Amino acid sequence: MGLHVGLDFGTSNSGVATYQDGSVRVLPIDGKNVVPEVVKTILYITRDFQHFIGQEAVELYYKQNINRQRRFVKKWSGEIDYRGADMHYVRDIYVYVDELQPGRLLQFIKTALRSEKYHGTQVFERYYNLSDIIAAYLQKLKKRAETLLGEEIEGVTIGRPVKFSQNTEQDQRAQNTLLEAAMEAGFKRIDFELEPIAAALYYEFTLTRPENVLVFDFGGGTLDLTIIRLGDPQHRKVYASGGIGIAGSDFDRAIIEKRMLFHFGKGQVHHDPEILKLIDTIPDWAALPELSTPLAKAELERAIGAGEAPVRLKALEALIFNDLAFSFYNMVEATKIALSDQGAAVARMKEKNLDIWELYTRSQLEKDIREHRQQIEEVLMNTIIASGLEPGQIDAVVKTGGSANVPVFSEMLVRIFGDDKVKSSDVFNSVTAGLAISAHQRK
Amino acid sequence: MISPDKIDEWIHEVEERPASAELIIRYIANRLSELTSRDEELAAQNIELLSGRKVEEYENRIASLEYQLELLKRQLGGEAVLPSEVSAAKPLQETLKLLLYNPLGQVLNLEMDLANIESQQSVASLSGEVSPPGMAPSVLSTRVQEELLFIFDSGRTVRRPVTQLPAMEANQLGWNQAFIEEPRIKEELAIIQPIGSMPLYESCIQASRRGYVKKMKTSFFTSHLEEDYIGSGVKLRADKTCGLTFANGDDLFVMVSLEGYIFSMQVDRLPAAIEQVIQLGVSDHIVSAFEIGQKTSILFITQDGKAVNRQVGWLEKANSFKTKGQSILSKERRQRGTRIVAAAAVDEADWGVFLQADGLLSIYKLEDLLSAGSLAARQAEAQVLGLSVFQKPGENENLPQK
Repeated sequence: MGLHVGLDFGTSNSGVATYQDGSVRVLPIDGKNVVPEVVKTILYITRDFQHFIGQEAVELYYKQNINRQRRFVKKWSGEIDYRGADMHYVRDIYVYVDELQPGRLLQFIKTALRSEKYHGTQVFERYYNLSDIIAAYLQKLKKRAETLLGEEIEGVTIGRPVKFSQNTEQDQRAQNTLLEAAMEAGFKRIDFELEPIAAALYYEFTLTRPENVLVFDFGGGTLDLTIIRLGDPQHRKVYASGGIGIAGSDFDRAIIEKRMLFHFGKGQVHHDPEILKLIDTIPDWAALPELSTPLAKAELERAIGAGEAPVRLKALEALIFNDLAFSFYNMVEATKIALSDQGAAVARMKEKNLDIWELYTRSQLEKDIREHRQQIEEVLMNTIIASGLEPGQIDAVVKTGGSANVPVFSEMLVRIFGDDKVKSSDVFNSVTAGLAISAHQRK
Repeated sequence: MISPDKIDEWIHEVEERPASAELIIRYIANRLSELTSRDEELAAQNIELLSGRKVEEYENRIASLEYQLELLKRQLGGEAVLPSEVSAAKPLQETLKLLLYNPLGQVLNLEMDLANIESQQSVASLSGEVSPPGMAPSVLSTRVQEELLFIFDSGRTVRRPVTQLPAMEANQLGWNQAFIEEPRIKEELAIIQPIGSMPLYESCIQASRRGYVKKMKTSFFTSHLEEDYIGSGVKLRADKTCGLTFANGDDLFVMVSLEGYIFSMQVDRLPAAIEQVIQLGVSDHIVSAFEIGQKTSILFITQDGKAVNRQVGWLEKANSFKTKGQSILSKERRQRGTRIVAAAAVDEADWGVFLQADGLLSIYKLEDLLSAGSLAARQAEAQVLGLSVFQKPGENENLPQK
């Protein structure tokens, strides 16, 4: 029988692991990533329909889009029916399409599974339905895993949330789409495991009696909360599940907005909407390459020439036009990760015209993400209420996902549930690892 | 900038977690030391500016560029109005610069008096290992007034006047003596391109080894040059820039591959975004990319030194991108291992400098080479690595080209 792996298909990051000879091996699936064991759930499709995932996709997206030329042409995209009380007319809709666009970047693919309305998208001359998009991503992931393992993968256990949607039909449809995509990607045997169960599987092994467990899965894109009764695999029970679309990428964004924009002229440039728009786009990593147009360059040159914060705007120009965005976002993420282990870190970047030195402390990070922390605590309390349990009735809290390592959230969990109940785990990979164990058990 | 608010926030961190104090002090101390050295550097530069040394250097460079511009005007039939101090400069056309460079950024600069060169002459020999694996050197002939653009495979560029390169004696040529324009981590020097004549052209065309091409308006290209970054010009990871040429809209752009396939197309029709214009086999790659300009024929050089000449009219212009290209070699010759190592647009009055795998640099008048059909037997023992074409003053008034 061929290899059967566990695959965590996450909103922001994914991972693959195997269970062999009594131990789990989470594969270093993306050597270019800050954490090689996870690969960004990003698909980049080039004009010649080649597919790229993870950091490779991000790098290529930057490489192909920074400083490229654009040519917008008007294209018919459909029509809209206007219906009034006594009239009905149809109007053609045109959009301006950049015909020199070298590729399409697709993110948050998993979120599309939750939507009843999203069926797919047109990528240049081809239509990709949702299962094609996911299949293209999974195929690349499978190929990478096979290269690392040196053998073909036949079966896969894929993680899925407790509910893709509150609507049972949509929930089933989402799983079917994922199943179809996995088959299209070349997996021969496919089964599913609930992500919170996978995350807590290690912990469940240690139990001698059933316990109520809160799984706090805090990844790159979302926070998923599940309160579940574990200990007897035959009689697991989900009391409640909830979540919020706040996670690691929002913290990176907060750091950039509050600590980095100053280096690019924020606070020094006033009454110049064109330049302010450029500055305000910096937190959005996917939008930044779109700024590298001759028009933006001319605007920057004009402002620099007028002596409007010239040093900061030169830095902004370097960030946009010198292919530095990729290093910049990685630097911000690395600084945030460093603060999980130490009280202070330096965000440092020195390139032509760009010299960032920002001493950043854990208390500053906590201040910058205070609003998010409050929202998260609210969602957590709501989930506990929905479960019908009191915090005291929850026997253990299992943390997983990179963002669960941010100390302010560990402290929050300790404050609510008590120090002895919060269990540390391999935060980045416990879902992936749990899926590998589950895959092994099912083999 | 460190504001009082930030300092308060750091103090707050120390109050909350005293263990952070040591780290914060270390970070600030390191930054201070970094800023101190930067301050010293700036002070030193300031002294240079105040003493006039920098000013003098820039004045010389401006004078040289002005002179170049006037030369170009004269060649185009315009009037040469040279400032009196510039006209006093020594005659500039008589010295030929031969540059040898490799992907490590090492550059050897050999100066030659154009008046004394003869056809079929060996001018120098490179000592030591000429071409370590994957580090094939290239040759470029240029003039002393030129401005050179060093293009790295990452898309980074460095501009440098030829005069900044230290000249070497013909008997001392070795990579260990070379001037180095150091590549950054994971970078290689892709090509060196003279850019003195750039203002005369509308477009700049960047070509890659795997047959991708990108065309830019010269004005747009100039703004990229100011940023020292022109883009890598490639789509594939294993690809890199192999040629940069300036041209006008109605010029004919030509690329020649190692296996003898030729792509030619009018510059106006070339893509503005990076696009593959010729499909090459796995083992094939582009060896030369150039525009025809006013030249009448194209010279192809095989690895064993044979010269093949074709009139420009022989070229079959491509109608679309991703063509397989026109072939200069028959299938049999290709299968026997014949490869094209260099090609250029030429006139009979042109001269060529050849670099061979044993390090020998030899000069030929192309008229003589074409009559003989190949490099002289003594010089053709080692494989040819590169070719650069130039003109001798009086024989041809065009500018040197690669």
